[in-house]
Amino acid sequence: MSPALTLDVRNDTAELGRVAVELARFGAAHGLDEQDVFETTLALDEVLTNVIWYAFGDGEAHEIAVRVELVEDELAIEVEDDGVAFDPLGVKPLDRELGSPVQERPVGGLGMHFVRRTMHALAYRREMGKNILMMRRRVAQRR
Amino acid sequence: MEITEAREGSVVVLEVSGRVDAGTAGAFEEKVLGLIAGGTNRLVVDGSKLAYISSAGLRVFLMAAKRLTPPAGFFAVGALQAQVREVFDIAGFSSVLSIHDTRTEAVGAAS
Repeated sequence: MSPALTLDVRNDTAELGRVAVELARFGAAHGLDEQDVFETTLALDEVLTNVIWYAFGDGEAHEIAVRVELVEDELAIEVEDDGVAFDPLGVKPLDRELGSPVQERPVGGLGMHFVRRTMHALAYRREMGKNILMMRRRVAQRR
Repeated sequence: MEITEAREGSVVVLEVSGRVDAGTAGAFEEKVLGLIAGGTNRLVVDGSKLAYISSAGLRVFLMAAKRLTPPAGFFAVGALQAQVREVFDIAGFSSVLSIHDTRTEAVGAAS
């Protein structure tokens, strides 16, 4: 069986620190490269932040299901939430804005920019009232 | 996240340690905006102990740079760790912010 990490994350940004700690522990246990762990943490953090900030308008507590699986040289990260339908792949890529002067730099869109830059494949689907985002990253040779 | 404030001549230096993510960026923003509202116009962030940053944290850096534009103000960043520096680079911030290898150089630029 391939190593996997499953986390139930509350819709509270205070959870992001715990997610990072769990991912670091998973990475250390399975010999992942530090850079792979750092960039995966960043991508997952950005996706969770978007969900926590924008997916729920009801003020209620929700659980976001995260599953990280290491299959050979690939990390597969799935994030599932029961918030409003939202396809993050529809967020406009930033590339042209990146070099604009400081006063004109847009504040939004950076999170998905990081996700696109750190993951090699992304897929979104809406299923049974849930948003399911799958991210994949090829990782360095394990120690 | 923890913030330590120091003064070097006309420059206020914030040493930010730990993680600046969506959960902690609010406190960082409050600190920066509070300083600016109180009249600080030369500000440096010492990133030597900053272990992690996400876009929510970068937003505060951009905000500081927008409010402290020369000649009336100056905002500089120094001593970022390699992985954090890479996040700044991917964000394209290296060309819009005054980023320096050391705290001393950042303070020099802001003085």
